[in-house]
Amino acid sequence: MSAFLARNRLIVLAYAGMLVLLLVTALFSPGFLSVSNMRSTVVLAAFVGIVALGQTFVIIGGGIDLSVPWVLNSAAIIMALLCGGQDLPLVWVMPLLLAGGAFIGLINGVGVARFGVPPIIMTLATNVILQGLILVLTGGSPTPSAPALIQFLSVGRIGGFPVIALIWLALTLVATLLLSKAAFGRHLYALGTSATVAEFSGVPTARTTILTYVISGLTAAFAGMLLTGYSGQAYLGMGDAYLFTSIAAVAIGGASILGGSGHYLGTVAGALVLTILTGLLPALNLSSGALLIVYGAVILLTVSIGSETFAGLGGKLRRRES
Amino acid sequence: MDLVTVKGLSKRYGGIVALSEATFSACAGEVHALLGENGAGKSTFIQILSGAVQHDGGSILVDGQDYRPANPDAAQALGIAAVFQELSLIPDLSVEQNIWFRHEPRTLLRTVNRAEMRRKTLALLDKYSFPALRPDQELRRLTLAERQIVEIAKGLAKDPRILILDEATSALPAREAEWLLKLTRQLATEGRLVIFISHRMAEVRAIADRLTIFRNGSTVAAHEANAVSDNEIVTQMIGRHLDRLYPERVSTATDLIALRVSNLSSGSRLTGVDFALREGEVLGVGGLQGHGQRELFQALFGATRATGAIELWGKPTSIGNPRQALTGKDGIALVPEDRRGQGLLLTKSVRENLTLSVIRRFTENGLLSRQKEAALVKEMVDFLRIKAGTPEQLAGTLSGGNQQKVIFGKMLLTQARVLLLYDPTRGVDVGTKGEIFQLMRDLAAKGYAILFHSSDMPELVHVADRVLVMRNGRIAATLEGDRISEAGILRAAMLESEAA
Repeated sequence: MSAFLARNRLIVLAYAGMLVLLLVTALFSPGFLSVSNMRSTVVLAAFVGIVALGQTFVIIGGGIDLSVPWVLNSAAIIMALLCGGQDLPLVWVMPLLLAGGAFIGLINGVGVARFGVPPIIMTLATNVILQGLILVLTGGSPTPSAPALIQFLSVGRIGGFPVIALIWLALTLVATLLLSKAAFGRHLYALGTSATVAEFSGVPTARTTILTYVISGLTAAFAGMLLTGYSGQAYLGMGDAYLFTSIAAVAIGGASILGGSGHYLGTVAGALVLTILTGLLPALNLSSGALLIVYGAVILLTVSIGSETFAGLGGKLRRRES
Repeated sequence: MDLVTVKGLSKRYGGIVALSEATFSACAGEVHALLGENGAGKSTFIQILSGAVQHDGGSILVDGQDYRPANPDAAQALGIAAVFQELSLIPDLSVEQNIWFRHEPRTLLRTVNRAEMRRKTLALLDKYSFPALRPDQELRRLTLAERQIVEIAKGLAKDPRILILDEATSALPAREAEWLLKLTRQLATEGRLVIFISHRMAEVRAIADRLTIFRNGSTVAAHEANAVSDNEIVTQMIGRHLDRLYPERVSTATDLIALRVSNLSSGSRLTGVDFALREGEVLGVGGLQGHGQRELFQALFGATRATGAIELWGKPTSIGNPRQALTGKDGIALVPEDRRGQGLLLTKSVRENLTLSVIRRFTENGLLSRQKEAALVKEMVDFLRIKAGTPEQLAGTLSGGNQQKVIFGKMLLTQARVLLLYDPTRGVDVGTKGEIFQLMRDLAAKGYAILFHSSDMPELVHVADRVLVMRNGRIAATLEGDRISEAGILRAAMLESEAA
């Protein structure tokens, strides 16, 4: 047990932080712990968590995916356009858009792994290109409302549980199996720790890298469709918030932003922390500008406390002093 | 009077005693060797002397004054500089910028005085007859050996009274190592104290006036160098009698060709190499450093692009990357040159490192079986006698010799029976060296075919069945039987006219 704690110290820390934050929030805004509020918190966290799933894989592998906002947004808008508010087209629209997200991920991955483009540049470029394509496609006009089935998936309930929470749970299980119980996970951690050592050990480094971006494209596109159901329609800019939150959730969850460590179970806690935080801050009665400042500062602080970089630096400073 | 006197020095890290009751004394104008296996306390001792860590107990007197530097800068201010094995240079800066880093000569406006820096660099390189180094060359373009030489220049730039050289020759090819030994003597003649760590007995013999032996965190003995035999030294180092460093050379080579290489070329570094390696054979690869040995090993492993034909166990093969090289019974495995940069995931466990190349073998229906993995890890840890607390210990916290064993284990778990060993004993303590040579012999007897490069020539002479000598990217000579000698290798490596 103590070995488990030592190995997963940062993940445990993330959950402990989440509980503290929950109690503090309850103090400032009574009623926050009510069943209905918890339910809506989990629903909002699920969107962050699903986008951050792919981001977790990419970051553990030593990369970063900045294309999630417009992969998400593109999927949302194209789905709304193709379905025209009808459920039936979803049968082919959903697989098509998931494939589309995976394809964008494939382009990102091939650019990074085969052509050596730095991940920041590669994914930033696909993000901007997608943004341009969607603007051309829609001409800026609003889209039809979301099909009822998608709305059910994002706001519906089964036996009192939000459907999306169940989807998130299933995805968490899959991600955990991939990271902890599959050869792919072992290859991924090796790749993120040292690409050279991984290559010299026979790890299929290019394939592993590409796969992480494909997963990220898939989860971003999936989240885009679900988010359309949540807001009732798709609109331009709906993915923008998820760039920062998806990366922050991974970092708060204890992953090193440089790769090689972390786990999706940590990211889940990170997504919950971020969502609870957005619930806490309005209760403090601050202006919206001040709210953003506090939000950013708190995330910076949380990530710093949790991150290994900081822990290593702290250790170094202590050694200097002694 | 002694320049340095150390009494009862101790240092703990948490519950681990790194150094206890160490004593040491040395005078100005002396070359003083520190000997001991990895983990014996030498490193901790010199880290304390150089100000990198602070001691918990005991005393150090330098010139009769109590000495307790807070950091390396303070130690340098008192005239004590160290050249460490782990290189401290910055790849993006030039040779001279690295040498004078943070001590750059300044103009009146406090900007860097480049002309003065160039002048001082050339003067320094000239005074100590440094091998060809261009002051403006970017460091990242230099080989490991050249970087080591820059590191030495950086240490000398501090004009220290006491210079500590930690395994400084281990990265150097024969000629440069020779130069360093001369340099060491020159420094002693100038009245400096040189504290010298090396795992090569011949070097210690060649230059040390006195030597101090460490074992298990304490000093066990100090000797006048000419008053003690090699055997006594080794016995005191390892605390038991080591029969001999090199195992008996019983050739187990069969007629079966395991690896045949024809006209292998890669850029300008490797031009038309042909040779055959037989089953059960240990084939040495020697020559001066930088003559294509690295490119040969990397090309065979698929880590560098190359043209030419490679046959493994009689079958033509194309090796595009290390993954292909490691696949299957006809595979080819590499223990790479750079243990920390190419061989090991330092922040991962011994277990994860050992099974990294074969992790797919432990999956059932796509899911890993931890039991299967643990069983094989235990088998390999026992077989190689890897000294780790548990298989979960991080590889980066092991001693150099044990790290090397983990890399051997990782490669042995693949089914490849052609092994490429690139300088596998570099920076490894003498006890583990012996184990590695014995392991090579045992593997050869089991039918493995081994290609073995060492920067330490006696190793090639005593371990290899045949030796290929490389010069300018070609095989200059193949030495067999009595012709395998240090002189023979050097002659073939340096003389154009030597007939193959």
